[in-house]
Amino acid sequence: MKAWYGLLCVLLVASVAVATALGNTVSVADVGHVIWYHITLGQTTAPDLVADRIVWQLRLPRAILAMVVGGGLAVVGAAMQALVRNPLAEPYILGISSGASAGASLFFLGLLPPLISKGLSMPLAAFAGGLVAITIVYAVAGGHSRLSVARLLLAGVAVAALMASVTSFITLSSPEPDKLRAVLFWLMGSLHNATWAVLPWPAVVTLAGLGVLLILSRSLDAMLVGEEPAHNLGVRVEFIKKVLIVLAALVTGSIVAASGAIGFVGLIVPHAVRMVTGVTHRKLLPACFMAGALFLLWADLAARLLLPGEQLPVGIVTALCGVPFFLILLRRSNYGFGN
Amino acid sequence: MKAAVRCARHNSFPLLRCSCLITSLILCLSGCVPQSTNVPPIQDDLGRTIQLGGTPHKVVSLAPSVTELIYASGAGDKLVGVTTVDNYPPDVQTLSRFSALPVDFEAILALDPDLVLASDQINSPNDAATLAEVGIPVFFVSVSQLDDVTRAIRRLGTLLGSESYADQSADSLTQSIDSLRVLTRQTTHRPRTLFLISDLTLYTFGHGSYMHEVIEIAGGLSIAADLTTRAPVLTDEFVLAQQPDVIVGTFGADFEPKHLLIRHPTWDVLNAVVSEQVYAVNADLFLRPGPRLIDGTWQLARTLHPELLP
Repeated sequence: MKAWYGLLCVLLVASVAVATALGNTVSVADVGHVIWYHITLGQTTAPDLVADRIVWQLRLPRAILAMVVGGGLAVVGAAMQALVRNPLAEPYILGISSGASAGASLFFLGLLPPLISKGLSMPLAAFAGGLVAITIVYAVAGGHSRLSVARLLLAGVAVAALMASVTSFITLSSPEPDKLRAVLFWLMGSLHNATWAVLPWPAVVTLAGLGVLLILSRSLDAMLVGEEPAHNLGVRVEFIKKVLIVLAALVTGSIVAASGAIGFVGLIVPHAVRMVTGVTHRKLLPACFMAGALFLLWADLAARLLLPGEQLPVGIVTALCGVPFFLILLRRSNYGFGN
Repeated sequence: MKAAVRCARHNSFPLLRCSCLITSLILCLSGCVPQSTNVPPIQDDLGRTIQLGGTPHKVVSLAPSVTELIYASGAGDKLVGVTTVDNYPPDVQTLSRFSALPVDFEAILALDPDLVLASDQINSPNDAATLAEVGIPVFFVSVSQLDDVTRAIRRLGTLLGSESYADQSADSLTQSIDSLRVLTRQTTHRPRTLFLISDLTLYTFGHGSYMHEVIEIAGGLSIAADLTTRAPVLTDEFVLAQQPDVIVGTFGADFEPKHLLIRHPTWDVLNAVVSEQVYAVNADLFLRPGPRLIDGTWQLARTLHPELLP
């Protein structure tokens, strides 16, 4: 197992290097020059300014954001699948992404009261929208002594539908075509907004989330067997459920705020990784993070290279590249979920 | 004929006989209809065949660019309805308005037009099919190159019976473009030009667009001319690598060049930004493929070559 992690780590570093070097605007030598210049903290000869902007301010933060977003979504996906014991669970199942989309479009199209929108930025509005959605879901599902998973799922689906229609209505009634295009692009999920300034928040939240989940990994294993057996094993089931929901809300909300709703990663990567690592969360979660990071990094590279010079939302590419791979895996292995 | 004879013989199949009768009736009728009108069918710019009863008197336009083309061809007085986004020429304020996206069919029917004119850029042939079903013919105008503007004006003049006005109008536009060409040919300085439709999402004109010709006539070099898609969204990286000398965009009236740097912080090293060559232009002059595109080309030429055109 250790060898696997080592391999994934090496692959990740190599992939960042490849993602930063590839592209048809800057020569590989210039890319090397820019990186070397920054590694030596500006002690060497300065590189071409345009190459510097492209490599250091566009490609590198974008590659790192791809890793954070892909890894975070995969980890939250694995946790949500354990929470609701359902292979169809994914990070967006509690309505977070739909809430974030509604929040972002409300903000973007200037429909929030000026007092509120003054203190907000687009990512903050998206984050707030996600929190509003999950708060409603939680209030509905957790109103009794036990947090019912069935109610959680149904409330999640219902709130997601509500938020989606809010988003549709806002975008449809928007008087400004310019902003409308920007919102539609954002809704499809894209990493083109990546800058160094965008990175810290999602990176810190995602890594902290991964840490907490690793601490809880034994309880997560027990949850997969069922709430009753887990309770009998001494797991504080209700507490774990609440922690999982708050974690999912924070991590997913931050990620969606930075990149829009990139689909598929959080659903498929945990399953693909389980086929290799088995269901034990202490092995599954770190592997999920690295596999998700790797997957989105390459998907984004494909999105960048498919249409040179033009933007292709990575959300379109993830399913296009990932589904065939996943279907082959699914057919070849005799995969069981949670048992 | 053979089938009909067989039908008549088999009296045990009354239904079949009936259908034979109806078929021959329809055949006869459909043969009769075209003979009742003397106007030959015409083809629109999409190659669709249209049958008119005569020169149209009441016309509806489904797109602002088409409205402007109709006025330029001298048939503005035949317009009875335009879309809610039409704003030029000022005369359109007095006409009936209807929503064009989605098309308000009821409002158009109420205007009882002889002909509806549409743009292949905005309108869908599906909408035309709906109108055709209620007996209103739809003629599509296609303007994808600068030359198409004058061609469309002459075509509309012929169609709507204002040929001589349309010819004059088209001639003067051609003259205007030709004299601008002569002016900008005086210089070999061709600033690398990027035309953006928006500064938030970097929409621009791509493959096969009239915009590249507009930029060329105005004395610039369009950096997006070699892209393969029609409506591309550019990356910041592409713009950096292409190093435009001038950025022109339909950014809206409240645009300030510093907005561009807030949205695209890496562009601080662009020639256009360093030398403060970022301009917002009137969207209606550039995004509507109509007669005012020639005004837009002149305006762009003044922006790119203030030394030539004071």
